[in-house]
Amino acid sequence: MSRNVCIIGGGMTVWGAALEASARDMYQEAGKACFEDIPGLSNKDVDGLIVASSFTERISFQTHLAPVVAEYLGIKPKNICARVELLCASGSSAIIMAYGLVKSGIADVIMVVGGEKLYTPQRWEVFYSELGTGDHDWDCVHGLGLPPPLFSMVSQLHMQRYGTTEEQLAMVSVKSRRNAANNPKAQVQKAITLEEALGSPVVAAPLKLSDCCPVTDGAAATIIACEEKARYLTDKPLVYIRGTGQATVNNMSANMPNTTTWEALKIASNQAYNKAGIKPSDIDVAQTHDCFTISEIIEYEDLGFCEKGEGGLFVQEGRSDFGGDVPVNTDGGLLSCGHPFGGTGIRQGIEIMRQLRGDATRQVEGASTGLTHNLSGLISVHTILIYGRDI
Amino acid sequence: MRGISILDGKYAVSMDMYPLQDKKFNKIYKFYDHLKAGRFTTTQCKDCGLRSFPPRVICPECLSDNLEWVDLPTEGTIIVFSEELLGVPLGFDPPLIHAFIDLGGEMVFLSRMVNCQAGDLKKGDKVKISVFPIESVFADGRRGEVLEQERVFFGFEKVK
Repeated sequence: MSRNVCIIGGGMTVWGAALEASARDMYQEAGKACFEDIPGLSNKDVDGLIVASSFTERISFQTHLAPVVAEYLGIKPKNICARVELLCASGSSAIIMAYGLVKSGIADVIMVVGGEKLYTPQRWEVFYSELGTGDHDWDCVHGLGLPPPLFSMVSQLHMQRYGTTEEQLAMVSVKSRRNAANNPKAQVQKAITLEEALGSPVVAAPLKLSDCCPVTDGAAATIIACEEKARYLTDKPLVYIRGTGQATVNNMSANMPNTTTWEALKIASNQAYNKAGIKPSDIDVAQTHDCFTISEIIEYEDLGFCEKGEGGLFVQEGRSDFGGDVPVNTDGGLLSCGHPFGGTGIRQGIEIMRQLRGDATRQVEGASTGLTHNLSGLISVHTILIYGRDI
Repeated sequence: MRGISILDGKYAVSMDMYPLQDKKFNKIYKFYDHLKAGRFTTTQCKDCGLRSFPPRVICPECLSDNLEWVDLPTEGTIIVFSEELLGVPLGFDPPLIHAFIDLGGEMVFLSRMVNCQAGDLKKGDKVKISVFPIESVFADGRRGEVLEQERVFFGFEKVK
């Protein structure tokens, strides 16, 4: 059995720093927001649950998380009830797995809910726990937890090789903040000027605070369903999952084949484009993993939106903004929405779904094909989903 | 009081930043034995010849377990470096300095730079490995005794 698979709704908590909520509070709120987006769906209709979270054991002292969430949301899964972990790409990995389970007929209606509680009452803990995110024994042990040092060096090398400028990095941040300015769920909702971005405190030169996504608490939830159920459950336009890819060619930094061309991203995106039967120029709107401004610039290139080395010009010329070739991170992306690891891929999927349904807050007119991209680890894995109004 | 009373001064290994290095806890302990002697080593497959890093027990190319220890260069040159000022993890002081180092064409290694200040480094600088002691791990012995396992770790430093 191979069926068409749809993303039919979604919701999220407010995302922010040190939210006054526990992880389980947030999963309940995100789940409720998702159900409210699909009035025809009740928690009793869900036959599978996949929870995406990365730091749950470390921060919340809770493993075996999926049944905890099922119990709180009143879901009694019959076909799958498990957690997925792939750090920054946990959410999109969970959507890919839900897609596979629904497509193959193992489940009909799966809730994918993900998020992260990163802040504890002790501010040092999250920075310390980040030392478990790359290869702990060989990379992180050098103090490589939060990744600004790596992306600082990637930025410098991209500047040396291709002439990318600090102003072009800042332009990514300015676009992001503008897109998030009317996103009530975003961690940062204030537009900034180029001068303000360039004057932001230095984290690891050339990266400034405004070049880096913040540390975030938050959760998001979505529903992945077979087309037959989707038609019954919602009156809104259907959005299909058309193609996926997930690739890695290295984990440890010493095995990275190229710091400024991300081979695994090219592999994953080509897989997804081929499965969907489309080419990069067919993408109308994209949510890419802008953990840093340099990331978004390299992603334009390696996703095939522009030639290698021209990512800086791509943002400078407005080609990734509304009215350009392919508006990128239309809800503010990681830079402004924030980045609770397990929630990010789900937030991206929800934004693309809304863009393709035509009910996004900042709408790309006539968008019919969209893409999400996650990077995870120390530029280790790339995860792609392609969504479409048509299958 | 501050602290977690039920832990009563116990050593929480799950909160330790450094890897367990003793033979009791891993099969690549010779890397750390070599490091104590100033050698930077890894494993190479005696069947297919692949040299891989990090050191391991199975060749990732041909899956052979017939591996041997080989020496890596302990000197190299800086390709690019980073000075991190904000968000430095506990256990490190800002600026926390990292570099991509060309180890004589053998591999590109991302390391912490030690014994240097902000502004000390430039592209092309010669660097060498620097081995330093870190805190011991205290392990429970079978008869209730406490076993101290001494450890070292490494970074790279500028050749003066």
